Amino acid sequence: MDDPIRTEMMKHRLVSVAEEMGARLQRAAFSPNIKERCDFSCAVFDASGNLVAQAAHIPVHLGAMPLSVQACLESLTLAPGDVAMVNDPYRGGTHLPDLTVVSPVFVEDTSPPTLLGLVANRAHHADIGGMSAGSMPLSQEIFQEGLIIPPVKLMVGDKKNDDIWRMLLANVRTPEERMGDLQAQLAANQIGGERMRAMAERFGVQPLLAEMDALLRYSERMTRQLISTLPNGCYRFEDALDDDGFTEKPADIRVAIMIEDEQVTVDFSGTDAQRPGSINAVYPVTLSAVAYVFRCVLGLDIPANSGCLRPIHVIAPEGTLVNARRPAAVAAGNVETSQRIVDVLLGALAQACPDRIPAASQGTMNNLTIGGWDQRHNRPFAYYETIGGGMGAGPQFDGASGRHSHMTNTLNTPVEAVEYAYPFRIARYALRDESGGNGQHQGGDGIVRTYEFLQPAEVTLLSDRRITKPYGLEGGAPGQPGRNQLKQNGIEKDVSGKCSFPVEAGDQLTIETPGGGGFGEI
Amino acid sequence: MSTSGQSSQNVWVGIDIGGTFTDFVVYSSSDQSLQRFKILSTPADPAEAVLQGLAQLPHHPGRHIVHGSTVATNAILERKGARTALITTKGFRDVLLIGRQNRPELYDLFPVISQPLVPREWSFEISERVDCEGNILTPLKEQGLVSILEMLRHEAIQSVAVSFLFSFVNPAHEQWVTRRLRDEGFFVTGSSEILPEFREYERTSTTVVNAYVSPVLDTYLGRLEREIKPTEFHIVQSNGGRISVAQARGHGVRSILSGPAGGVVGARYLAGLAGFTRILTYDMGGTSTDVALVHETIHVTTEAQVGGNPIRVPVIDIHTVGAGGGSLATVDAGGNLRVGPQSAGAQPGPVCYGRGGTIPTVTDAHVILGRLPTDGFLGGRMRLNIESAQQAFDELSRQMVLAPRSGLDVRQTLALGMIQIANVHMERALRVISVERGEDPRETVLVAFGGAGGLHACDLARALGIPHVLVSPMAATLSALGMLAAEVQLDYVQTVMLPGDTPIEILERCTQPLVDQGQKDLHREGVDPDQWVLSRTVDVRYVGQSFDLAVPLTSMFREEFHRIHCARYGYSQTETPIEIVNVRVRAVGHVTPPTIPTRPLGSADPTAAQWEDRPVVLPQGMQPVPHYWGARLRPGHEIHGPAILALDDTTIYLGPTDHAAIDTYSNILIKVGATDG
Repeated sequence: MDDPIRTEMMKHRLVSVAEEMGARLQRAAFSPNIKERCDFSCAVFDASGNLVAQAAHIPVHLGAMPLSVQACLESLTLAPGDVAMVNDPYRGGTHLPDLTVVSPVFVEDTSPPTLLGLVANRAHHADIGGMSAGSMPLSQEIFQEGLIIPPVKLMVGDKKNDDIWRMLLANVRTPEERMGDLQAQLAANQIGGERMRAMAERFGVQPLLAEMDALLRYSERMTRQLISTLPNGCYRFEDALDDDGFTEKPADIRVAIMIEDEQVTVDFSGTDAQRPGSINAVYPVTLSAVAYVFRCVLGLDIPANSGCLRPIHVIAPEGTLVNARRPAAVAAGNVETSQRIVDVLLGALAQACPDRIPAASQGTMNNLTIGGWDQRHNRPFAYYETIGGGMGAGPQFDGASGRHSHMTNTLNTPVEAVEYAYPFRIARYALRDESGGNGQHQGGDGIVRTYEFLQPAEVTLLSDRRITKPYGLEGGAPGQPGRNQLKQNGIEKDVSGKCSFPVEAGDQLTIETPGGGGFGEI
Repeated sequence: MSTSGQSSQNVWVGIDIGGTFTDFVVYSSSDQSLQRFKILSTPADPAEAVLQGLAQLPHHPGRHIVHGSTVATNAILERKGARTALITTKGFRDVLLIGRQNRPELYDLFPVISQPLVPREWSFEISERVDCEGNILTPLKEQGLVSILEMLRHEAIQSVAVSFLFSFVNPAHEQWVTRRLRDEGFFVTGSSEILPEFREYERTSTTVVNAYVSPVLDTYLGRLEREIKPTEFHIVQSNGGRISVAQARGHGVRSILSGPAGGVVGARYLAGLAGFTRILTYDMGGTSTDVALVHETIHVTTEAQVGGNPIRVPVIDIHTVGAGGGSLATVDAGGNLRVGPQSAGAQPGPVCYGRGGTIPTVTDAHVILGRLPTDGFLGGRMRLNIESAQQAFDELSRQMVLAPRSGLDVRQTLALGMIQIANVHMERALRVISVERGEDPRETVLVAFGGAGGLHACDLARALGIPHVLVSPMAATLSALGMLAAEVQLDYVQTVMLPGDTPIEILERCTQPLVDQGQKDLHREGVDPDQWVLSRTVDVRYVGQSFDLAVPLTSMFREEFHRIHCARYGYSQTETPIEIVNVRVRAVGHVTPPTIPTRPLGSADPTAAQWEDRPVVLPQGMQPVPHYWGARLRPGHEIHGPAILALDDTTIYLGPTDHAAIDTYSNILIKVGATDG
């Protein structure tokens, strides 16, 4: 039987290890994307690659990280002082810009050294090469999206694996930034490893390992207990992405959630086959979306670890939008399809527990990349951002306006910071009036953001909900779909949700993000 | 102590308004006497308790008051500030509503997003635009103000915040608007006056907070000034420095969060006298615990928030965790024992207070363990009810599966577990404020104050490898004492965004207006010029980074930047170009703090302070442990743990390997043992 005092203490101690890693990574990171927008996560794993504790940052990483760690354990023999790196979406990754750095933690006073567990962190890098700056292109196969890194050793026995570093830095557009961010990722794992070894010394190796197991059981117990509060039954829902950027056909995602006492089966059978465009989600992304939804619905209080997923069984047929097969393009799968997976899961659960589920939020991250040559500073530039929108209304609340929802929570880049660093300006940044769906409770409003270009540049948009609308619930109206508008030589025209185009000095791009769905009939 | 002549008739009064008590520390420079007392706070009208307390003092011709005010903070938390409007550049009036577009909790489908202090209908736009180099892209449409003025009057607006894009580079438009509004009789805050720093959301939020709280603070201070008529009247700011009321009134944002600042300043002062300059302050109260870092100077942050509103002025970096004496123990759905963040608060309070509480609190756990004498609480004035605490523990233990530890019964196991879990929460807070800020706790001293701190301090220090704990006999009124020890301190900033190879002469020229302003303000504070210290720093970063490091402005600042970057983050990139984001000036005016009475060290034998031996639960089991009367401890006394020291306002638990000695200031300095048994 697990000890209610020891487990509680170890829970806080292990989360504090992950949080200290996060603080170190954030402080040391070079790029705004990690440092300021906090697009990263840190976690502690047991020796089999189960996630034991994590610092809450970006939810899309929660379910996927263990698969990256497990891929490293399977492909490499890790010795003390080694550090592995991986971004391959087909080996536990999500999309290429997310680099995961994995360090084994050994206690070396035994012979052979005992593997205590692993510490890992994942960070979204601003560029990882490929066909367009920022590595979030309008791609048709993964090879166009950037450098694919299978599990490799970044460090061997505490020494830099120079060949790998040279290879990596030669393939990216901003190598200084990459180097700074990777060093920060190493520093984060280093502090995590030190903390784990100090804990092993303080509490003993075996008791520490036993408590890590206990913590997984604890989260599993809590999850089971909370699932049992949901009514048994089979709940189905479907929704679609607008298109994949190459054909106009909507991409359907279908789910059936079976709740059976303390267990859940989430079955995506019937979902559309994978597509040529990059809206394909690899399995770890789908698993992350499932983990996110159940964690939200069951309550904040369960420690996020692999134990939470034990009572949840996921069926995602291979070759579909929710479990893509190599070499499908996946850049948007992680950022757009993941949002729609959440929408269908919540839509299904709304039938099981309408009192806990909001209407659909904006359902897109509005990914925008602007790249080119900065004539002012005489250097290349690559700018990436995502834009918030309306959140769905709930049984008791209006939806929040102008926020990121579900699978992302990154900060915006200040208007004044943009203008200092890049050859374009923000001319307007406001809430988009009347974009939230009507209802007894009103959906949140989206955002309007207008960019004014000062020099020629290349723009890539990966956005969705430009055609389909975020659904309302219980009779509430859906939110307004988003809209992308380009003004050139005084002429305004709509541009599609997923596209890439050149702009000239004086052009204006206006992005209007979707509103959230309303809740309840008026 | 201050600068206006130390007439023998002068007294200085430090006043700290807390939730329950308003504390007074009175220092007379003629006989160097210190007097301390407490008055029940009057939350509905905090000035009432201040006036009551001052009425108890004999009248002095020279009366100098240093006050920590919660008025500004409460105005925000209770949403009782001035009717405030905002004027922004056209296209950006939703800057407060959008914020940084994130939600406070990741896994929350219904996040509670705090509403801005200015509602949307009072947010106005005016056509104008300046670029990042200060060029005017769109001239100010002056007649746009006409309809805004009409609306302001119609809505009976009292205070207006004006925040235009890049006004810190070229403030002409913003200044024109603020001048016009002032002419019209409004209280006005311009963003380039209060915070000429880039990042429009944070600057606007700071400006709005100032506009919202300043009129309220002004009324409050005006009333006190009229009724007290002090010779000098200062308030403590959130950066831990003091400022005259005359200067504070228009800058309410600077005094936000000034309440807890006094405690940190006081702890730094007393620890400094005892010879310690690297400390972690640890203030454990009823519902929460505040911790802060001092390394020579008090660690400040410009990333503070109050009630969900960022404020970018320097604020003492205080980390708060929801664990205190009143934290409740519960059993969760997974069977774990939880302690806090729910608290029994002042009402009903812990079970042992006998005021109707039924759920065990941390304080009750100490009673069960015999560490908090039921007849020694508050100097014996309040008797604690152990029987009701025992019942509550029995009730809780029935809800969980708990095997008793060897040598303990279930009740004691549970009580000890609660203390350990509360300690883990506080240990985490101390790690955040030290390790995560790049400071090694093992090189610091833990300075404990607040009612409950002494019972946890040694165990916490042990867990963090901190070698010494310091408990002051003035722990209970440390914040009011800190007010009197606070120096005059003013901080200035200006965003410049210059390339790293900018010659030092130009950077010095950029800081000169801030230096001039600092000197002017120190002069207005009445500080003698030989007590001035003005320091210049620059915020530097690698091109492409979004964060910066403060580096002293000398001819070697570039080398120093690479060095600090490497020391703090583990790498530097000397080949990468750097840029200078901000210049900063800190203007400090030294004041003479109150003299703390000392007594020579006497015998090490504490027998004279001994009370009696009583059973106490140690990690190994129950055993008789000597108890001491705090009031009878004398400088020189040494006490080997285990022991309980019952002071007037706090109780100290020494573990079996801890060793306490009383220093000449009557501080209890504890050398922390390596093990808890």
